[in-house]
Amino acid sequence: MFGGLKERLQAARNRLSSSIGAVVATPVAEPVVPHLPPAAGTTEPEKTAAPGFVEKVKVLVLERELIVSDKNIAEALSELEMTLLESDVALPVTDAIIISVRKNLVGRHRKIGESVDAMVVSALKSALLEVLGKGFDLKEYINTHPRPVKILFTGVNGTGKTTSVAKIGSYLHKQGFSVVIGAGDTYRAGAIEQIAVHAERIGIKVIQHQEGADPSAVLFDTVQYAISHKIDVVLADTAGRFHTKSNLMNQLDKIKRVMKPDLVIYVDEAVAGNDAVIRAAEFDRTVGADAIVLTKADMDSRGGAAISIAHTIGKPLMFLGVGQSYDDIIPFDPAGVVDELLDGA
Amino acid sequence: MATNTQQAEQRELMMLQQYLKDYGQQAEIFVEQLNLLENARMEAMAAIEALEAMVVAEDNTVLLQIGGGASVRAKVLEPEKVLVAIGAEVVIERTNNEAVEFLKGRIMEMEASQKKVSETLDKLRAQMNEINKRLEFGYQQSMAGQQAEE
Repeated sequence: MFGGLKERLQAARNRLSSSIGAVVATPVAEPVVPHLPPAAGTTEPEKTAAPGFVEKVKVLVLERELIVSDKNIAEALSELEMTLLESDVALPVTDAIIISVRKNLVGRHRKIGESVDAMVVSALKSALLEVLGKGFDLKEYINTHPRPVKILFTGVNGTGKTTSVAKIGSYLHKQGFSVVIGAGDTYRAGAIEQIAVHAERIGIKVIQHQEGADPSAVLFDTVQYAISHKIDVVLADTAGRFHTKSNLMNQLDKIKRVMKPDLVIYVDEAVAGNDAVIRAAEFDRTVGADAIVLTKADMDSRGGAAISIAHTIGKPLMFLGVGQSYDDIIPFDPAGVVDELLDGA
Repeated sequence: MATNTQQAEQRELMMLQQYLKDYGQQAEIFVEQLNLLENARMEAMAAIEALEAMVVAEDNTVLLQIGGGASVRAKVLEPEKVLVAIGAEVVIERTNNEAVEFLKGRIMEMEASQKKVSETLDKLRAQMNEINKRLEFGYQQSMAGQQAEE
C-alpha cells in the first residue's frame, strides 16, 4: 500500500537529514546591525523568533548544540514539496505539511552527536498526523449512539460501494453487532442480486425490492425492520451517481429525508488520486458526508488521496479497502499509516 | 414436485451463478483499469519520443497532430522548457531532460501498477475457473438425478 509514496518519503527524509547533518559547526556570521535607541513615540520592535549569531555561538559553545535554520533545510523542503505533489497530494495539504515540518525543525536545538534522522522523522510524523486527522472509530460511534445506527453509502459509479457495504457489514458482524443491509441500488442491473449474495455469504439479512423500485421505500423498510428486530446497524447501499446529475441527487435528498441517516459515508477509490479528493469535496458540498471510505488502496502506489482527503474536506477517513475478500477492509488508523510510510521509524 | 435436496441444489447453483457474475463484473473493472494504464503508459512514451526529437529537430520544427489523422508543421519556441503536470493538478516548468526523466519515472510507476492489477485479475480468473468447475459438476449431478428419476 502506497509503496511509491513510501519510497519518495524515504528519499525526502534522507535529504532532510543530510541537510541538517551538514550544518557547519561554526555558525555563519550575520551582518551586525547597530542597535539604535527607538525614536520618540515608537515602541521597540518585537524580537523575532529566529536565533541571532550571538545566540547561535552561545548555544554551540556552552551547550554543545547546533540550531537548525531555515536556510539549512530550504532546499530539502522544496524537494519534499515536489515529492508530495508528484504523489498527488493536494496542494493545500502539501503546503500544510511543509509548514508543519518547517515549524518543527527551524530553531530546533540539536545536541552534537544526536540523531538527525530521529528529529526529521518526528517532524514528518507530526506533519502527516496533522493532515491525516484522527480517523473515525465506527465501533465507538455505534456504541455511543441510539440503535439502530443508520449509515447511508454514497459515491460515484464503479468505485466499489456495494462491495464496501458488504465488507463493512462483515466487519461489524464480527465485532458482535447485528446488521441489516438495505439494497437501495435499484438502478444498476444485478446490483440487488449482488448485495443479496454478499449478505447471504456473510450471514446478514438484506431488505430488497424489485429492480427499478423507489430506493427511499427500500431503505425506509430496512430501517423499520431494524427497529422492529432491534438491529444495531442499518447499512444502506445506493446507486452510484455523479454530483452533477440533478435528478439522482434529488433522489438522494429524498432518501435522506425518508431514512434520516446518522452517518453519510462517501465511497471512492484511492487510485483516483486527486480526482477522488475533488469529487469528495463536491459530494460534501451537495449532499454532505460525515466520513470517507477509500477502496482499492492496495493498488494505489501514490497515496495522494488517502493523505489529502481528510484535510481537504475536513471529514475523517473511516476505512481503507485493501483487497478482494471480506476481511480486506481496515479501519483507518492515522498513526499506523504514518508508521508504515516512514517504515522502521 | 422438487424435493428439499433438489431445491437446495438449485439454490446453490443459482448462488454460484451469481458469484460468477459478480466476479465477472469485478474482472471487467480491472480490465478497464489495465487498459487505462496501458493508454497512459503509451501516451507517456510518445511524449518522451516527442521531447527527445524536439531538441534535435532542425529549426525546432515538429509535426503536430491536430486530430483526424491531420498534422501540421509547428515550430516549438522553447524546446528546452517543458510544462509538466506533476500531480495534484500542479503544472511546473522543467527542462527537457528533467521532463523526460519525470515521464520515465511515471512509466515505471504505471508498469508496477499494471503488474499489481494483472495479479489481482489472475486471482479473480482462477476463482472464476473454480466456480465454473463447481457449476459444471453441479449441473452434471442435477442431470444425473433427473435421469435416475425418469
